[in-house]
Amino acid sequence: MNTEDNASNGWSNEQIKQLVSDENGVLDARIYSDEALYQLELERVFARSWLLLGHDSHIKETGDFLNTYMGEDPVIAVRQKDGSIRVFLNQCRHRGMKLSRDDAGNAKAFVCTYHGWAYDIAGKLIDVPFEKEGHCDRLDKSEWNPLQARVATYRGLIFANWDPEAPELDDYLSDSKPYIDTMFNRTPAGTEAIGGIQKWIIPANWKFAAEQFCSDMYHAATMSHLSGITAGLPEGVGLQDIKIPTNGYQYRAKWGGHGTGYYVDEPGLLAAIMGPKITEYMTTSPQAKAASEHLGSDMFGQRMLGQHMTVFPTCSFLPGINTIRTWHPRGPNEIEVWAFIVVDADAPDDIKEEFRKQNIRTFSAGGVFEQDDGENWVEVQKVFKGIKARKTKLNVQMGLGSSATDNPDFPGRISDVYSEDAARGMYQHWLRMMTEPSWDTLKP
Amino acid sequence: MSSASQLTDVLKKSSADPALQQEIEQFFYREALLLDNIQYEEWFALLDEDIRYFMPIRRNVMRRSGKARPGDITEYSGNDEFAHFDEDIDAMRGRLRKLLSDFSWSENPASRTRHMVSNVIIHEGSEANTYNVCSSFIVYRNRLERQVDIFAGERHDVLRRADNEPGFKIANRTILMDQSTILSNNISIFF
Repeated sequence: MNTEDNASNGWSNEQIKQLVSDENGVLDARIYSDEALYQLELERVFARSWLLLGHDSHIKETGDFLNTYMGEDPVIAVRQKDGSIRVFLNQCRHRGMKLSRDDAGNAKAFVCTYHGWAYDIAGKLIDVPFEKEGHCDRLDKSEWNPLQARVATYRGLIFANWDPEAPELDDYLSDSKPYIDTMFNRTPAGTEAIGGIQKWIIPANWKFAAEQFCSDMYHAATMSHLSGITAGLPEGVGLQDIKIPTNGYQYRAKWGGHGTGYYVDEPGLLAAIMGPKITEYMTTSPQAKAASEHLGSDMFGQRMLGQHMTVFPTCSFLPGINTIRTWHPRGPNEIEVWAFIVVDADAPDDIKEEFRKQNIRTFSAGGVFEQDDGENWVEVQKVFKGIKARKTKLNVQMGLGSSATDNPDFPGRISDVYSEDAARGMYQHWLRMMTEPSWDTLKP
Repeated sequence: MSSASQLTDVLKKSSADPALQQEIEQFFYREALLLDNIQYEEWFALLDEDIRYFMPIRRNVMRRSGKARPGDITEYSGNDEFAHFDEDIDAMRGRLRKLLSDFSWSENPASRTRHMVSNVIIHEGSEANTYNVCSSFIVYRNRLERQVDIFAGERHDVLRRADNEPGFKIANRTILMDQSTILSNNISIFF
């Protein structure tokens, strides 16, 4: 990476540092729409961070592969004979053609459809047509493998990172693991993905989506999802009969830009989204009690409800709703959402089916909640076309100065559920990645 | 997938006489007009109590061993997998309540849509008084100042004779969208 160049793409580090103020809670709107900043982001954020690619259960058997992306780079994630996973650029070293064009499948090798160069499932070049005649034994195939990424998993989630210097995934997750485990470690059986990855585009900057899942219970409790809540109410019950929860907390990772928020002992929002069956499963069922035992806390097993979370930069999920997605960036003005559903691997079949149906109903391209998120972000993004609007200073001050690290129930830096401390943490980490070239200063 | 048999049966010669063909086509045109004129309640009244409104996800799958559409349906997500829609009547009623509220931002202001339905092929259904109907659609959506989305695909319907004025209710609708990645910020309209 090249942050030594003090005017990369027209942006000096000093100029970038003016865009975000953690201390004062102010953002410069150009972080959402500037093309030159976006190109720097691909280098400095996406090529150095751990990015969510999928779930262990997406690629179970040797040769199972999943085609996905790291930033805008197409990659193949492949299960190896020894059970490990390899991730490499989906690009032939001859003329740059994609090696694989299925969404997923099982392969013994990847053969380029342009000139037939063939790679094994570890991403090693093994066959070049007419090698003897054309290259006269002068081609050292071992020098022409596609670029490999580092791979690590946490609780069944597959992450990859291009940067050999970046910290281990374990350190990268910082102190956020207890908050991830509420979704991915409820039972010794772990989780499994329901088949199918839903993909759609939202013409909006990736940071809107990432920040909302990181830090924004506010939108759910105020305006965005009133009609989504209406859709899940029983006959004869209206919005006026609903009490919006107020008791809850937000967590900001001590390092890394991760964040989460949740209600405590107030299942109202979860029930409005997932209905009574899942609410019972998450709060009072034998499985919920077992989750409390497994997690060592009834707070983490049964009482944190309606949780939202982002692992920086683009891995977002909703424990209890169980949608998880990567916001793949597509320029400053667009994302591709790649969403899937996980369930406890040992959940009863009817519970798995209920998670499947309720996610389709609520958190999907056509979901009664998510379709309104798509509307808001897109409209914001359009406003940023204006020469004045794109430079507006935006307010991210909620909960400024009110977080503490001495909560008896929740480890880490905690503030009220209606706070933007986690958002400030996310933007502050973004700023550090954009301006600090070396892991010597950036590391956890 | 529920429409697997329909996908192959549809290539058989249609069993409909011209009167039935016209009746069902007219039903589709009137249904399209209800959707395009934002007459949500009238459109929802056409859904039967046991309806499944289903739109599977469509994957990119290389042809192997000569398998191709329509017999090979592996490119569609299955019954126990993620889908764009998989709704029963209660879920559809919830969607109606959402649309009729003043807070349904994705459809308030409402999209301007045009549902074009054609290529209607009719077969006798497996139960009495039902028809399996395959049709093609193109749906144009324009919303707010300059958003344009174009959706195309196939519908596989089970229509059931009903004593309502249009003469049918929709007992099953499977929508096969001609997109893998949905090229729109949401799917807040019906097909």
